[in-house]
Amino acid sequence: MTTYIIRRLLYTIPIVFGVLLVTFVLFSLVGGDVTDQIAGRAASIETREEIRKEYGWDKPLFLSWDSQFFNHLKNAVTFNFGRSWSDRELIIDKIKRGAGPSLSLTIPMFLGTLIISISLSLVVAFLRGTIIDVLVVLLCVAGMSIPFLSFILFGQYFLAFKWGLFPVFFSPDLSTAQYVALPVLIGIVTGLGSNLRFYRTVMLDEMRSDYVRTAFAKGLGPARVLFKHVLKNAMIPIITQVVLAIPFLFLGSLLLERFFGIPGLGYLMIEAIGARDFQVISAMTYIGAILFVIFNLITDICYSIVDPRITFE
Amino acid sequence: MNGRGGVVRFFLFLSLLLSIVGCDSSKSVADGNETVLRGALAAKVRGLDPGDIGDTTSSSVASQIFECLYQYHYLKRPYELIPQLADGMPEVSEDSLAYTIRIKKGVYFADDACFGERRSRELKADDFVFAWKRIADIKYVSKNWWIFDSKIVGLDEFREYTKSCKSAADVDYSREVEGLMTSDDYTLVIKLKKVWPQITYLLAHLPSAPIAKEAAAYYGRDIINHPVGTGPFKLKKWHRGSYLELVRNPNFREKFYPCEGDNADTADGYLADAGKRLPMVDRILTMVVQEDPPRWLLFMQGKIDSSGIPKDNFNEAIDQRGGLTTEMRRRNIHLRVFRDPSTYWLGFNMEDKILGKNKPLREAISCAVDREKYIELFTNNRGEVAYGFIPPLMKAYDSHIKETAKAGYDPERAKHLVKRAEEIYGGKLPKLILAMPGTDVVFRQRGEFLKRCFKVVGLDVEIDYMDWPTFQNKIKTKSAQMFSLGWIADYPDTENFLQLFYSKNASPGPNNFNYCNRDFDRIYEQVAVMSDSAERTELYRKAERIVVEDCPAVFLLHGVAYVLCHDWVYNYKPHAFGYGLSKYRRIDSAKRSAYEELLRAGK
Repeated sequence: MTTYIIRRLLYTIPIVFGVLLVTFVLFSLVGGDVTDQIAGRAASIETREEIRKEYGWDKPLFLSWDSQFFNHLKNAVTFNFGRSWSDRELIIDKIKRGAGPSLSLTIPMFLGTLIISISLSLVVAFLRGTIIDVLVVLLCVAGMSIPFLSFILFGQYFLAFKWGLFPVFFSPDLSTAQYVALPVLIGIVTGLGSNLRFYRTVMLDEMRSDYVRTAFAKGLGPARVLFKHVLKNAMIPIITQVVLAIPFLFLGSLLLERFFGIPGLGYLMIEAIGARDFQVISAMTYIGAILFVIFNLITDICYSIVDPRITFE
Repeated sequence: MNGRGGVVRFFLFLSLLLSIVGCDSSKSVADGNETVLRGALAAKVRGLDPGDIGDTTSSSVASQIFECLYQYHYLKRPYELIPQLADGMPEVSEDSLAYTIRIKKGVYFADDACFGERRSRELKADDFVFAWKRIADIKYVSKNWWIFDSKIVGLDEFREYTKSCKSAADVDYSREVEGLMTSDDYTLVIKLKKVWPQITYLLAHLPSAPIAKEAAAYYGRDIINHPVGTGPFKLKKWHRGSYLELVRNPNFREKFYPCEGDNADTADGYLADAGKRLPMVDRILTMVVQEDPPRWLLFMQGKIDSSGIPKDNFNEAIDQRGGLTTEMRRRNIHLRVFRDPSTYWLGFNMEDKILGKNKPLREAISCAVDREKYIELFTNNRGEVAYGFIPPLMKAYDSHIKETAKAGYDPERAKHLVKRAEEIYGGKLPKLILAMPGTDVVFRQRGEFLKRCFKVVGLDVEIDYMDWPTFQNKIKTKSAQMFSLGWIADYPDTENFLQLFYSKNASPGPNNFNYCNRDFDRIYEQVAVMSDSAERTELYRKAERIVVEDCPAVFLLHGVAYVLCHDWVYNYKPHAFGYGLSKYRRIDSAKRSAYEELLRAGK
């Protein structure tokens, strides 16, 4: 297994290199010149040149030890992403500051959705074909069809403004639990539809297996059959879904963060896209790629843990 | 059935947990009698270094912390400049080329670690010289060099010198600039290259605020996060992209609420606090709320003290007669309506082969646009139809410009003009492209409306939606054929609008139209060095008539702002040019509590 892990970690080098190359080419060659935006109105040619010099955009793109691409690589490896051109703040500071709020929103949202959807999927799989199953599937489809923004506006207006159950927006007077509660609830509700349908399908596949019939025939209770046997055997697709979703938690939730004033990384990313702040986008893409590769590896390792038949040979 | 029961119990537990966490038990931030002014910004604050501030959001916060030599009188209209850090108005030499400005004594910077053990120090004339040299320093790459460019003797040479320096650290700020001298700690002497009557307005402009060199040295690039000013407030906490908290600056000198104002100010209650010491609130809490729905709900909950009116909530706030709705009045919400110094237009690139040489075509486009409908649809009638570029707020506004302007909404005339335009072009006109500086639904609605207006008169116009940076790039590189844009005056002098049509300011300069008319240029060069007079006002109007005649743009509207504020906010007099006005506001905490109580009672 150690050899496998080392080999997979070595694979990350060309993958990350590829990500860095693609982002660099995209932003440097296709993205266009942003010096005008930095320089402000009526800026002279000299000012624009000075800005290019400051950000190293006056250097050759490739084919030099002091080229823009080589510096891009060097900075990425050392996690020294430089300063955002839109406000001259250190990018790494932005990311560090945004990670906490983003994760405080996405982790409970993710766990809540996961626990509820897996539990509910077991129930509806057990009750397959009944009116409850049909109703749940119907609600899932309805939930998936309603735009995410509608849930936000509804929650903010009724739950927060009209009924006063939650704060409308972030405020420094509030604890984290208070200001993320409503967005987390909205995130869970909106995430339930697709997740529940997926897990229901997975559970139904398992419920039709011979071992489930055998377990019931031996007199085991539904809870024991569902939670101990069915759930365990359904772990491979669950792990694939769950572990690969974890890197995206880091990227936050764009709409929820913006509507509830949570200063996370989703917010940061969309601001950067809007302002064409390529350094920020590139840094976020790079971190996202590394996390994705790592969690891919973790997924593979988890497979062998939950299913002893899987080996790394 | 045990299994089913377990799952249900789990759900009940989870729901309970979520509902407990979700309960709103927000406590007030204010301690005891502390008064807090609560506001919301629709965009994030980029930085708090005045020398490099280029956006109104950052300016609105930084202006509570920094002060300039001059400021606009809070109450008097038309807008009048009065001393702020200066001890009197400038003494101007006979040739109008030298300005001697005395600095107030006893003005201190806010306490900061950059001053070491002293914690603070007195403001000196040299702090202005340092701040302006910094803007000139090319290594600092300020957005605001346009203010001083080719204006002050020796400053351009200083900029040239900084170009020869290898790094920012190599720039020697002790190098003298002939036009920026201090005869003593409290006297600043500015020598100009040419007459510049607008200088006093620019000395009231935030980028000209003094900077302590200790702060610049101590914080380096991070000075954007550590503003050290002489103003009534200082920064306590700034959670970027989320909120800012400013607190009263204990070093702020004795400064008082104005005792004079306009005739109606006494009746309107704006002079009730005359002579009271400023600032009148202890803290300012400003949230960044970029979306309209939560900002509106926060205002209605009384969590923020004042707000604009989002388009979608306009009917909720304003009735058909233009006054407040019953619900707003029941909540004791007040409405302030005031004119913006703004003009919005569809600009033509006069260097474009099709548009530039075809005046009937430009006029046809102008005649095709139904401004009144546009204002009704997209601003809820918060605008006035524009016939020229000078807004009604400006002294030089020509109320007869409507009669001069031949290109007002007239679809029948537009159809005739299209025929003439086709004769000039030599056949059917090709598809024209209008660049829109946004891709969201509102821009698309505007685009569709304009497209329909053009179609009615037989013009084929494609709307090209793009993000703001792409749009700017198109304008600067003269590659936009038509574009939707506008201008909000920086100061109450029409020269600020005229420069947008001066041929030497063509793109990438502010003349985005790339408009060139020798008569206009001659007038601009003449008025640019003239002081305020009836003759100058007449020349401004003449220049506007020339532009209107040439039709380099479809002038659409002049903005009218609607602001709502709760009854616990006092001294909220609208100001079109003023920044740093929070020091005049007064908050009645008891009224705010009563409102919160009312909401809790569900009324």
